[in-house]
Amino acid sequence: MYFPGLICLVVTDAGQLYIPQLTKTAIDMVASGGFLLEAVLRIAVIMIILSVLIAAGRFGWRFFIGGSARKIESGLREELFSHLLRLPPDFYEKRKTGDMMARFTNDMNAIRMACGMAVVSLVDGIFMAAFIFIILFSQYPLIAGWIVLPFPVLAFLVLGFGRILGRRSKLVQEGFSALSAMVQEIFSGVRVLKTFTREGWAVEKFADANNEYLSRTMSLVRIWGLFFPLINFLSGLTALLLLWFGGREVIAGTLSPGDFAAVLSYLSLLVWPMMGAGFTINWLERGAASLSRIGEFLDAEPSIKSGLSEQPVSGAIEVRGLSSRWPGAAEEVLSDISFTIPEGKSVGILGRTGSGKSSLVNLIPRLYDPPPGTIFIGGRDVREYGLEPLRRSVGLVLQDSFLFSQTIKQNIGYADGDLSDEMIADAAEFSTIDRDLKNFPFGWDTMVGERGHTLSGGQKQRVAISRAYLTDPEILIFDDCLSAVDSETESEILRQFLEKRKGRTSIIISNRTGTLSHTDFILVLEDGRLSASGPHEQLIEAKGFYRDIYKLQQAEDERR
Amino acid sequence: MKDDRTNGNKPEIMKKLLFYLRPYRFYVAVSFVSLVVASLAELLVPVLIQHSVDSNILGTPPNIAGLGTDCLILLTLLFLGLGASFFQIYLMSAAGLGIMKTLRIQLLEHTLGQSLSYLGGRPVGSLVTRITNDVETISEFFSSVVMTLIKNFFVMAGVLGVLFYLDKRLALITILTLPPAIIITLLFRVRAGDAYRRVRKGVSAINAFLSEHISGIKVIQVFAREKRTMAEFVENNNKLLSSNLSEMYVFAVFRPLIAMSSTISLALIIYFGAGLNQAGVLSLGVLIAYLDLIRKFYHPLQQLSEQFSIMQSAMAGGERVFELLETEDRISEYSRDRPAGVDFCLIAEGRQPAVEFADVHFAYKEGEPVLKGVSFSVAEGETLAIVGYTGAGKSTIANLAARFYDADSGCIRIAGRDIRELPLKTLRRTVQAVQQDVFLFSGTIRENICLGRNFTEEELSAAADTARLSPVLEKLEDGLDYHLSEGGTNLSGGQRQLIAFARVIAHDPAMLILDEATASIDTETEKLIQTGLGNLLKGRTAIVIAHRLSTISDADRILVLSSGRVAESGSHSELMAADGLYSSLYNLQFGRDL
Repeated sequence: MYFPGLICLVVTDAGQLYIPQLTKTAIDMVASGGFLLEAVLRIAVIMIILSVLIAAGRFGWRFFIGGSARKIESGLREELFSHLLRLPPDFYEKRKTGDMMARFTNDMNAIRMACGMAVVSLVDGIFMAAFIFIILFSQYPLIAGWIVLPFPVLAFLVLGFGRILGRRSKLVQEGFSALSAMVQEIFSGVRVLKTFTREGWAVEKFADANNEYLSRTMSLVRIWGLFFPLINFLSGLTALLLLWFGGREVIAGTLSPGDFAAVLSYLSLLVWPMMGAGFTINWLERGAASLSRIGEFLDAEPSIKSGLSEQPVSGAIEVRGLSSRWPGAAEEVLSDISFTIPEGKSVGILGRTGSGKSSLVNLIPRLYDPPPGTIFIGGRDVREYGLEPLRRSVGLVLQDSFLFSQTIKQNIGYADGDLSDEMIADAAEFSTIDRDLKNFPFGWDTMVGERGHTLSGGQKQRVAISRAYLTDPEILIFDDCLSAVDSETESEILRQFLEKRKGRTSIIISNRTGTLSHTDFILVLEDGRLSASGPHEQLIEAKGFYRDIYKLQQAEDERR
Repeated sequence: MKDDRTNGNKPEIMKKLLFYLRPYRFYVAVSFVSLVVASLAELLVPVLIQHSVDSNILGTPPNIAGLGTDCLILLTLLFLGLGASFFQIYLMSAAGLGIMKTLRIQLLEHTLGQSLSYLGGRPVGSLVTRITNDVETISEFFSSVVMTLIKNFFVMAGVLGVLFYLDKRLALITILTLPPAIIITLLFRVRAGDAYRRVRKGVSAINAFLSEHISGIKVIQVFAREKRTMAEFVENNNKLLSSNLSEMYVFAVFRPLIAMSSTISLALIIYFGAGLNQAGVLSLGVLIAYLDLIRKFYHPLQQLSEQFSIMQSAMAGGERVFELLETEDRISEYSRDRPAGVDFCLIAEGRQPAVEFADVHFAYKEGEPVLKGVSFSVAEGETLAIVGYTGAGKSTIANLAARFYDADSGCIRIAGRDIRELPLKTLRRTVQAVQQDVFLFSGTIRENICLGRNFTEEELSAAADTARLSPVLEKLEDGLDYHLSEGGTNLSGGQRQLIAFARVIAHDPAMLILDEATASIDTETEKLIQTGLGNLLKGRTAIVIAHRLSTISDADRILVLSSGRVAESGSHSELMAADGLYSSLYNLQFGRDL
């Protein structure tokens, strides 16, 4: 697409260069006195035809080059997002959302400018400047040397300005980011400010940052404000030089008045390519910087790779000698854990905060990768299964119940899209979210807002449970996903859960021994180690952590 | 899409925006004078060249000395133009930036003054965008559009004047070429406006999509929904591409057409000029001057397309900014007539306030009452623990006592006075409702304790000692001046907690309401909190919304809240003996908390 665009650009430039030649001929005719009006008319008509051609050429290069730049931008954005989708969660944990967003906005803009406008002004600048210089020096060697004097100065200025502008606008940009970060922080901490009635302090702090930003911007304005007037000044200077040197040539009879007018036109045509040269360098530099930032993301390896096995994911879950640590961490989150969950059994996991419960269940659908040869489903290492079938077969309800800003219905049906009202009703009943239906102004079609912020914590968690329930996976895992639900509702949901899932593998992380007692057996985790396992009855007999918890909760159960 | 309400009343927004220009009247006036000077200088250049060509170069006899004089005048004009243009741009930018600063501070102040229920209902991101990006576009409007528009108008009028001065007939011909250009411009305005709105919509849709799906990546991966997510993204992306392209086409048609009009009028001028010259009524110099002037005449029209984009976004930004600025949702300063003199000393020296809730009803949302007639009192210096199930309304009590929300009915008295009679500042200086989910600002520990108030070094170290923060500070290289990163993540949870305690102790409220963190807390933090908490409560009337055993046992009295009502109250042993809700809750909740 670039090639036709460049052809259009060259046609446009050639046309623009030819017009002063036409005016020159016309003026010389007029100056000579004896001329036919038809001859001038012919020139005028040629000019009009040429102007249409130029307009078409201009549209053409914008269409082709501008369009290509937009398409390149769009394609790159697609590639980047598709790559990001394959990167594991720990890639995201290391980065701020705003920072990742900037790759899609600012950096894409910079790349588009480098692919579009920079190319145009580069080709345009070189072509126009070269030809105008050739015309000037070949046709008017006597004065050309003098009148082009300001142009090297101009080019030099634009280059120098470009550097200073780049530096200062970077400072301004940083000031702006600092300002945004500060506002963000002030609004996040607004409760603290109100509690201590220090709103005024926040405003003062903001005013300081604002002043800093202002002074940085003013220092940019001092340069930027000089830029265009200076360009005007220099182009005026060339006219002045022409008037002096060219005027004397006309008087001496070595230059025709038409030539004088033509040179005047050429000079004005030369201003923009010269400026463009300066911008081009700036655009290209920025584009290259942005490209390398995006490249950094694209080079990140999707470390969790899909296995090749096409086998359906089912069977017993077996964990053999599993140890795992976070990248860069010294201590192990899980150490030497082994157990087997026969197919169709339900298992409870109990343990303190930080004992490794979440880490363990996150490893099964390979949200984080277990070491090879540690986790098996149906006798096959989870790493050998295809990622998509694996994750479709292992349903995991996360601790943090993230909802999308869609309707409740769409959130519940997230996994599959189309579903009947009965399926929704069934899923809603399962998580007991149907009891809150009357509070939703538009029923299941109520929008939940950004990240579900219009719902309460408990409502969000229950929608998330319905969402996972509908996928009806071989293995379903609840990762302590009922923390915001009161304990009565929690035990009710879990009771129902175990009933409906009878005959299929289920894992429940919970701290309620009453709930766990309904599972086939229980794993107790302490500091990343499996300290005990067995059915409820067995665990309450043996001395240990599980029995302590059970005793504490027993009193309450009796009271029911 | 919420970012796409550009159909508001534009003249109205323009009027409001121009109002902000008032304090800069002087800047605008001087800038305008500079503008006139610069434009005149710019216009005089072709006139001077024409004059020189006609009378010095083509004159009989040619006048080299006159040519020299003209060159000197030209040089002066160029310098004058340079200086005046710079001055004009500089002054208008200064005004634009000044307005930006005023508007930003005004917006922040206004927004911070709104009630928590209002602020909680709006995503932080959208508030940030109002104060940063939207204000920025408004500033750009002032610095680069307002004067340029005036200038362009001025230049076009000036050029037209010069054209008429030079030759009336040619000037009329030039004017005749204008209507097509004007029609093109008007058409462009409409089309560009539509295209702009579509692009804005596309951009905000894709940004919202990206930020949401980047945050929710885990859910996407858990459900293996990468393919469909990608398909949705591609759909958004293609929509954006096509609206970007159609915006580009609008611009790609407009500018070449204007340039074409310019060349066509040039051709007409040459033809008719030649005719007039042949008839002996037009000099060659005038013809040459015309060639230059035509370009100058069309140049402002070409520029219009860029200014139009800036103006569009400034109007859209202005609309959103004013919408925020004109929303009022505050806790009113005094909702009752205030008896004289209470704002200065609410409580006598050395005394602490007693607190009373009398039949307080409250609902965050209509029809969903949270408190249904709560009555209790806390005596001077007493520590009351409030316990209850999630959703029983415990945190609401803190929100009401500090007037983050106003009770729907009933009355809350502090030191015997209805809190609605007190100035908000006095109330909040007296009653501090502190959440244990610590929020720290990036900056030094000192800044986080002081929050801009002036404490002496002794006061600070006393507060740090009392909160048991001093041992932590000793371990840090810079002590109080240790720099915290965003959210204080370079300290442990327990250390952050102690800073928050020191903050409260330094600010020394007469009464404290502490809303304990619900989330499970690790043992190290628990230990640190134990040490600080006792000192924090000492010598203050306090309400603690309790989630931990240790806090409850420290309390003088316990209040059990159950679905918006007071169920029981009394000491721990009394309540355990009563074998009611408390004893069941005690076993359930604190057993569960592990």
